[in-house]
Amino acid sequence: MGSSQEILVEAKNITKTFDTVVRALDGVSIEVRKREILSVVGENGAGKSTLMKILVGIHPPDSGELYYMGERIPFPKNPLDALKRGISIVYQERGVIPHLKVYQFLFLGLEDKFTKLGRLQLEKIIGTAKSVFDELGIKCDLGSYLYELPLSTQKMVEIARAILSIRLATGEGREGEVTPLIILDEPTAPLSIEERDELFEYLLNLKKENSFIFVSHIIPEVMKFSDRIYVLRDGKVVAHHDVAAEKVTEEELFREIVGRESYYDLLERYGYGQEQLQERPTILSVRNLTKKGYYTDISFDIREGECVGLFGPAGCGKSEIAKTLYGVLTFDKGKIIMDGHELRAKGGPYSRIRRGLGYFSGETGKELFLYWSIRKNVSIINFEKVVRKHLGVVPVISLRLEKSLAEKIVKKLRIRAPSVDTECYSLSGGNKQKVSVGKWLEKSPKVLILEDPTIGIDVGAREDIYEVLLEMKKNGVSMLLVSDDPKEYAILCDKILMLKDGVVQRVCSNKEFRSLMGL
Amino acid sequence: MGQTIVYREWLHRNLNTIVPISGLLLLITLLRIANPFFLASWDSAITLIYGMSFFLIAACGLTLVILMGSFDFSVPSVLKLSAMIFAVLYPSIGFLSIPSALGVALVFGYVNGLLLAKFGIPSFMATLATSMVAEGLAQIISGGYTRMITDPAFRAISTTMIFGLPAIFYWSVVLWLVAVLITMVTPFGRAIYAIGGNLVGANLAGINVSRVRILVFMICALFAGLAGIFYASQIQGAHMQVGVLDTIPLFASVVVGGTALTGGVGGVHRTLLGVLIIRWLDSGLSMLAIDLNIRMIIFGVIAIVMAILTIDRRRIKIMK
Amino acid sequence: MKGEFEKSTVVTTVALAWRLIRINPALWTIFSLIVLFSVIVPEKFLSASNLVAILKSFAVTAMLSVGPTFVILMGSIDVSYMGVWMFGGALVWLLYPYLGLASILVYPVFGLLVGLVNGYIHVKAKIPSFILTIAVTAVFAFLTTYVRNVSGVLTLTVPAYNFLRESPIPYLPSPFLLALPTIALAIFFMFFTKVGTYLCAIGSNEEGASLAGINVRKYKILAFMISGFLTGLGSIAIFVHLGNQTRVDFDPSELIRGLAAIVLGGTPLAGGMGGPHRTLMGALVYVLIFNGLFLLPGVDPNHLKLYIGTLLLAAVVVASKALKGALIA
Repeated sequence: MGSSQEILVEAKNITKTFDTVVRALDGVSIEVRKREILSVVGENGAGKSTLMKILVGIHPPDSGELYYMGERIPFPKNPLDALKRGISIVYQERGVIPHLKVYQFLFLGLEDKFTKLGRLQLEKIIGTAKSVFDELGIKCDLGSYLYELPLSTQKMVEIARAILSIRLATGEGREGEVTPLIILDEPTAPLSIEERDELFEYLLNLKKENSFIFVSHIIPEVMKFSDRIYVLRDGKVVAHHDVAAEKVTEEELFREIVGRESYYDLLERYGYGQEQLQERPTILSVRNLTKKGYYTDISFDIREGECVGLFGPAGCGKSEIAKTLYGVLTFDKGKIIMDGHELRAKGGPYSRIRRGLGYFSGETGKELFLYWSIRKNVSIINFEKVVRKHLGVVPVISLRLEKSLAEKIVKKLRIRAPSVDTECYSLSGGNKQKVSVGKWLEKSPKVLILEDPTIGIDVGAREDIYEVLLEMKKNGVSMLLVSDDPKEYAILCDKILMLKDGVVQRVCSNKEFRSLMGL
Repeated sequence: MGQTIVYREWLHRNLNTIVPISGLLLLITLLRIANPFFLASWDSAITLIYGMSFFLIAACGLTLVILMGSFDFSVPSVLKLSAMIFAVLYPSIGFLSIPSALGVALVFGYVNGLLLAKFGIPSFMATLATSMVAEGLAQIISGGYTRMITDPAFRAISTTMIFGLPAIFYWSVVLWLVAVLITMVTPFGRAIYAIGGNLVGANLAGINVSRVRILVFMICALFAGLAGIFYASQIQGAHMQVGVLDTIPLFASVVVGGTALTGGVGGVHRTLLGVLIIRWLDSGLSMLAIDLNIRMIIFGVIAIVMAILTIDRRRIKIMK
Repeated sequence: MKGEFEKSTVVTTVALAWRLIRINPALWTIFSLIVLFSVIVPEKFLSASNLVAILKSFAVTAMLSVGPTFVILMGSIDVSYMGVWMFGGALVWLLYPYLGLASILVYPVFGLLVGLVNGYIHVKAKIPSFILTIAVTAVFAFLTTYVRNVSGVLTLTVPAYNFLRESPIPYLPSPFLLALPTIALAIFFMFFTKVGTYLCAIGSNEEGASLAGINVRKYKILAFMISGFLTGLGSIAIFVHLGNQTRVDFDPSELIRGLAAIVLGGTPLAGGMGGPHRTLMGALVYVLIFNGLFLLPGVDPNHLKLYIGTLLLAAVVVASKALKGALIA
């Protein structure tokens, strides 16, 4: 053990508050040791990424202390400052620049040390790149474009870039003195299983020289590869495990991430999903649906008033399936049959809406027209309710009908807004989401597709949205849920498809799902 | 303190209304001071109306496209081509040449829309190319010569006087009203604003984006074609210089009206203001004997400045 | 071991050649155009005077398109080259009485300034670059016509530069020779400085480039400046080609010439790929098509605009189809 126990970076009592209280950090302390893989796990909004952004200098903390090898230092002011301390970050997916060659990307922004009189010293760059790749054990053609490489290799190149930029920033010849600390923000999200294993083998190899902070919410891989684990929930460290010293089970970790107490509160009010839906007629059947590279041979039925969940880690194909059903993406093979009509692969959302499908995503600003009033946002999908035909042919939107429709929804969902003519960008996050979901209330589609319906909003607004969705369900609206939050499945779904790498692993009832998840 | 912020917010949000209206008032005053004959007689008013009417029709079409967040460079060329077809075919097939001219214009609009909607080619590029094709076709069917039509019936379409005003005035007002109504009260108009304001959201809300885009480009081309026909009737024929100098003033009048280049903000109703300003300015400056080239430069600069003022920067992340 | 090595070399070479053809469709287009016209109209197409004419118009087309390639590479569009070329020439003419022969240097300086202003407005005011630069071009074009009108001459000619028109090397026309420094500079910027890489990065993934620590705004402005500077420098070749004068009336088909060369060369309008080397090939394709076309019997030069428009249309359609796979990946 010995040297591996040496502490590299220690952050104490970090507190950070934004305008919305939800994502704040509340007295978080973590330590990173030399030559280890440290995992930070938690749900969306638990504060993981805020913590990382503070460590690399993107956000300043409200309060807290930072120690580097036992010596107190100020928090980095910007990413470059962090680099000089030997801390670098690899971003989830936005960091790759697909049309650059490997060596160009490797030295992007670092060319200054390889320039003579404004002229790049290509031989020196390629030479250094070669030796770095040999040292780190990456096998790929330096001259190929990044988009030609498999995603796992792209990630490795990104990690190599992070190590290289630390070396260049801390000064050459000090390789032995500075242990680079590399933060990996959900690095496996877009990767397949094989690619993940490849990446982890690579990380284990690099661990001999570097430290890693591994941010994730995929439990099995966290268990497999980390030395220690911090669990964050609601901006606090709720648990800390030393994987080598103690035995942790996946279920235990899961429960710590999810937090039982808050979950039981919600459940008590809404109850579990129903399981007595066998006699209801089938509304939507999906048969052998395949989209190359995303999902294979997906088949399931949704009955009237039933909610089906697609559950799996990020990148398992669940959100692609949801988008395919709504016509945003096309598919290669298979059939989607809705009420006896087959849906075309290239139909597009307009043809899906006509057949009675609906779609609601919690991602703010995606489906909402932020600079439109609530009234207009509601009527954009409810034209048949607000349009009157003049002279028999000219469709004219009736302002009066529009207003009364919007007012009805505002009242029902308790949306806090001065009037229905308020522009949506001035509403709070939860109220925006309510407008988004509320517009489907009056449309009453046959099947409503939900993608992360409550992402990034506070508990109160969450409950309001669940209430609306459950009421719609009671009235016979079928649903398909895609989310990262298992609690959401437990509350809304009657049947859950477990996905992995685009393939259905098993189908379980709500009860089975809960026992599986330890909820 | 809070009051100031509210006031500022209001000012910022209504900038694209305040600037054109105050600009128009200022302009009329200045022109009146500079030239006492400006708008002093009924005849000069009629001349102004002739200058504005066909222009307003074309500008309305262009506004629809810009509202959708696209651009159409082919408006002046389609205008010219339509005028040319009307004038060239009139001697042989009479008024049947109107539907043929409009038909050709619609084909151009359809192709423009198709290139954007189905091939994903940026509209300014696609319409630049089709405008060259339209120019080429106009050159070929006219042989490069001016076509004069002396038939009074040909002229009557635009110049018949009704209550002291030429027919083209009524045509343009009616077409303007049609465009305003389309954008303000129909679901189709709502769809145009939706595409300009949030393309992803419009698609998710079940708007058939490709179809709306193609239709809007067709309407724009139809308006350009109609403008060409009325203009040909007004000047008794057509020549290769028709529309050549209209690109910049057309663009200027749309943005001066307060329609933002990024789409989703503004409206056809505002374009009337823009056309009034630009054409009044144009005639005022030419009365002051200011060179045509200088006038074009002034319009170009006005267009850039107004484009900067009207763009709502809050909603742009990356501007290409 | 040795055999394996040789085999892999052969495989690599074939793969490289295939990749070259796949990503550079302009290469085999040039090749097939040359073969085509040499077979149909050999005596006209392969005559010495025609080949010299091809070189000249290649120089002109390349000078209108090499500079803006840098802006398109990063995903914006710069069509101010018409303005730089036209009004820059008017400035040379205006300043010749004061600066003497050095007044030709006004061209690159003016180009640089226009680029700076374009870039600054585009970045700070967030105006779509195409609309902005086309308005700038229009302003300068009308200004040029105005200068001509006011000064009461027919053309803005500076006869003192006549010595530039004579080429020291037979069969290599002087506009072509004058274009070479601009081409060399463009290649240098693209491949031997970090600027080329940075602009590619911005065009490919602007957010990623910014995360990698690149000052995106600064390099955007720089791209416009390079574009303006190279166009200004290159305009000297066009100036000489036209008989030491500049164009005084605005012709949109010249505007399309530059864009068409860029698109035909394979730099997609969305940016991220390509570069000036591609544009040079695109310029050659453009020149060969029109040179050969008008040698064919029954082709009317009066219909030039129609052909240009159709060609650009075809080019952008083909380019959008061919590049889709690469851009999604």
